[in-house]
Parts: sequence; structure tokens; C-alpha cells
Amino acid sequence: MEMAYVIGATILAAAGAVFGWRARGDEGHGHRAFWWMVGAFVCQLLFLGIRGELRGQCPLDDLGEICLFLAWSLTFFYLVTGTTYRLSLLGVFTAPVVVILQLVTLFPGALDTNPVRAEVVDPWRESHAAFSVLSYGALTLASVAGVMFLVLNRRLKSLRFSEGMMTGMPSVSRLVKAMARIALVGWILLTIGVVSGLLMENGKVSVHLVVATVTWVLYAVLLGIYFVRGLPGRYLAWGLIVLFILSLTVFSKL
Amino acid sequence: MKLVCLGLNHETAPVEVRERFALSESKMSEEGKLLVEDPAVAEGVVLSTCNRTEYYAVIEDGGVQHLENWVCSQRNYEGTREGVFYYYESRRAAEHLCRVASGMNSMVLGETEIFGQVKKAYQAALTGGTTSGILNKLFQRAFGVGKRVRTQTGIQEGATSVAGAAVELAEQVFGKLKGSSVMVVGAGEMSRQTAQALQSRGASSVIVTNRSFPAAEKLAAEIGGGAVGFDDWQNSLEKIDVLISSTSAPHFVVKPRDIEAVRRKRKFRPLIMVDIAVPRDIDPEVGEIEEVYLYDIDTLQGMASRARTRRLEQLKICEGIIDEELTKAALPGLE
Repeated sequence: MEMAYVIGATILAAAGAVFGWRARGDEGHGHRAFWWMVGAFVCQLLFLGIRGELRGQCPLDDLGEICLFLAWSLTFFYLVTGTTYRLSLLGVFTAPVVVILQLVTLFPGALDTNPVRAEVVDPWRESHAAFSVLSYGALTLASVAGVMFLVLNRRLKSLRFSEGMMTGMPSVSRLVKAMARIALVGWILLTIGVVSGLLMENGKVSVHLVVATVTWVLYAVLLGIYFVRGLPGRYLAWGLIVLFILSLTVFSKL
Repeated sequence: MKLVCLGLNHETAPVEVRERFALSESKMSEEGKLLVEDPAVAEGVVLSTCNRTEYYAVIEDGGVQHLENWVCSQRNYEGTREGVFYYYESRRAAEHLCRVASGMNSMVLGETEIFGQVKKAYQAALTGGTTSGILNKLFQRAFGVGKRVRTQTGIQEGATSVAGAAVELAEQVFGKLKGSSVMVVGAGEMSRQTAQALQSRGASSVIVTNRSFPAAEKLAAEIGGGAVGFDDWQNSLEKIDVLISSTSAPHFVVKPRDIEAVRRKRKFRPLIMVDIAVPRDIDPEVGEIEEVYLYDIDTLQGMASRARTRRLEQLKICEGIIDEELTKAALPGLE
């Protein structure tokens, strides 16, 4: 049953991506993309609810669940960040990422067909997992904003204006602010995730937790430099993209 | 009775003729009333802008010469008429009005101000009671065409002037320009135009610097800004978002070290630099600095030229809309 919800969420997010792309910069049509994404969000919640019941805890135990939780997190930020964000290409880029994450969930073997129900539920472990994935939803968006900034910056610096690039594209200033603010939200959520992880471990230090803490420190340094000293947008963008890819790569190996 | 349009514009008449026929907004209504007092004229709308004066009228067959004489006598015009006036009747007059309302006949192709000017002219005629069945329907249809052309074609897209291109680029970097600060280096005409274009989009503070301080003060007063001495302008770099340079200096006025010195203080905020001087004022190496977006006159002229070409390419689509709108429901007076 829960697979039907993933399929539904994927179809709805794909429709959101198509409508979002067609309506970029156009408020009237942008609202259509929004409602498709609301539908996808509802399907994701239903899936997570069923898996949570089966697991008896926050459903973050296999690749499929993690990807869908991350897709839910991205959709959540998409829906709460307001019209301006949704109508820009930044919003348009979210729906395809959600579709890809949900396709991974649909991939054979990604979801446990018979999930094991947890006998003991550790609330710190639950909040560590949930907040960490939620933070990566925000950090994914910050990286997407970073990629968009690099594309726009390169075109503006190299005087390549002739490809209709400006349609629906946020300004350089807005992209820099978006990168920093979304990354800050992600970092705050990651802080809660890391602190919960430290409490979960009861004093034991695992490699996973060390990597999480190092990631947290690196994001703190990058954002600290930006907010206190200032940083050119390109360095901030590269910092967010490299940190995101690096941390995900390391976590995937653990 | 027949619909006619008699007029002159920037393409047919020099400015000294245009100004003789130009009418203020309040005078357009009076002129319309005088026009329909003529027994040969049933309805009339007078449109007058800085680039055109046009009379739309419903008159007796063969009354065009009579109308032309009437218009010239009203303005005491005794100069040459050949090639100065243009005349359209029936459907061609309707097509012409649609082109005018859509900005297709304007000096700057696709400009939108004309739409409001046509509306005001019609409103003045309506208030003066000089319109009836034919012109009322025609003008309503022309407004419909104007709206369609604006929303369904790209005739008004892109900046067609150097100043407009600078504003477009600044908006791509900053989004809305409300509250942004501009520095003008050199008190030339192009600097003034560009600064005013930025101000019209919300730039709130303008600092002018020039080798001759009185010239800087004069321009600053004209555009509502402040002036700083030419040996002191670098100190203002910390506050600004856009720098426009247009001096006649034979060497670079703005060098990389000027910007490097304030980067930390600016917290690496984006800075747009527009160099409209020839020879150039801003060392091209300044553009290598991460947060600096440097554009010279060639870039801006190239943008403006491409926008003009794109607008010209839209004309065919616009003509299609006019044809469709004038054909879909028969308008009276076009037979």
C-alpha cells in the first residue's frame, strides 16, 4: 500500500516540476505547481505514517525511507518558504530533485519489504535521525541555490546574456541571501541532530558522530565567516556545494 | 460618413512643426469640441504627445481636405503640407490607431507610455462628449489590441538604450533597486541619463564626483544627489552599489587597488560598475574582482541593439493580432 503513495507522490511532484518550469516567473500559473506539490506532500506523509507504524519509530532505517524522508523535507521547505521562492527557478529546481529521490525509493531493494519493528525506542536516536535528515533537506536547497548562483554569476561576469537566461531567475543578491539563510536553517537543525546524537550515544563516540560533528563545525565556520566577516558569493556557493557533496559521500560510506 | 485619421509625427514632421501642432492634455478636449462643431464632422478624438498629433474623426465622404484645412487654420500653419501630414481612412485608420496604442508606431518601438496617452486622449473626448458609436467602439478595440500585444508578444522586452541596459543588468544583480546607492564619476550627459534611469527604478542615493567640483555640484543638484571632491571619491565606495563612470580622462580613473581597499569594509557585497567612457575609465582588471560586475559601453550598446532587433522581430506577430482583432467582429465605420 505504501508503495502506491510513493508512486502517487512521484507523479504529483513530476507534474509540479512540469508546471513549475512552464510557469517560471508567472504568478498565476505558479500556483498550479504549488498545489501539485501539496498533493505530493500529503502522499509522502501517508507513506511515512505507514512506515512509522510498521517500524514503531521514525522511519529512517533503509535507503528508500531516508530518500523519501529527504524528499519530504525538501517539499516541506518548498511549501513554507513563500511565493517568491516558489516562482523562482530555485523553487522549480526542487520538484525534480524530489522526483529523483522518490524514484530511488521506488528502486527494487531500496525499501525493506518486511521492516523490523523496533523493540526499544530511544527518543534521542529518533530526534537525531529526524533532525539530521531534515537539516539535509535545507542544506540540499542551499546547494541548489549555490549552483544557480554559480550559473548566473558566470553568465553575468562573462557577458553571456543572449540565451534568455534572465527569465524567472532570482537576482544575484537574492540568491546569496537565500544560500546563507537556508544554510543557516539547515545548520540549526543539524545542531539539534548532532546534540541529540551525542545524548543518544551515552558518551560513546562513533565514527558516524565524529563525521557529523566535523560537518557541523565546517558549516559553522563557513556561515560564521559569511555573517561576521563577509564572503564573496562565489566562495559561499562553492563552500556549500563542496561541504554538501563531501559530507553526503562520507556518510554514504559509513 | 467615414472614419479617418489625419496626423503628423516624428517621422514626418520636424520638431518645429510638431510643437506648433502639439496640444496640452486640457486643450485636447477643447480641440475635439471645436472639431465636432464643424457640420462635416460627426465624431472626433484628438491625440497629442511630444512625438505626434493625430485627429481621429468620423466625417462626410471626401471631407479629408476640409479636415486638413481646418487643422492648419486652427494652428495658423502656413508651411508646407506635403509629406508632413499622413492620412488614413476606414480600416487603415483603425489599424493605425491599434499600432499607435501598442507602441508599434513610437520612436522607441514597443514603449508603453503611449498606451496611457491614447487612453487619456479618449477619456478627454469622452468627457467632452465628442465621441459616439464609431469612435467609442474603435478605441475600446484598440485598447484590447494594446493589452494583447503587451502580454502576448515580446515587443516591450529588453532595454533599447544604454541607460536602460545598465538598469536591466543592475536589476539582475540586485533585484529591486529600491534603496540602492549610485556613484557617478564624471558629470556627462550619459552619466546623468543612466543615474536617472536607476533612480526611476528606486535607487535612492546618488553621489556625483567630477574633476570640476562645480560641475559635480550642478549635476548633483539636478538629480537630487550629493557631490564629493574628485580627490575623495574612493572614500564613498564603501556605501555604493552601482558606479557609473563617464569622464573624458585619457587614462584609467578607477583601478583595482581602489576596490581592493574597500572590499572588507563592503563585506564583499556585489558592486556593479558601468563604464560608458571612451577611452575607458575603469581598468578591465577591476572586473576580475569576485563581487564586481563590470560592463563597458560596447556591452551595453550590444544589449540595446539586440533588444531592438528582437522587438522588430515581434512586429509580424503584432500585426497578426491587429488583423485578428479588427476582423473578429465588424466595427462600424470600417467599410
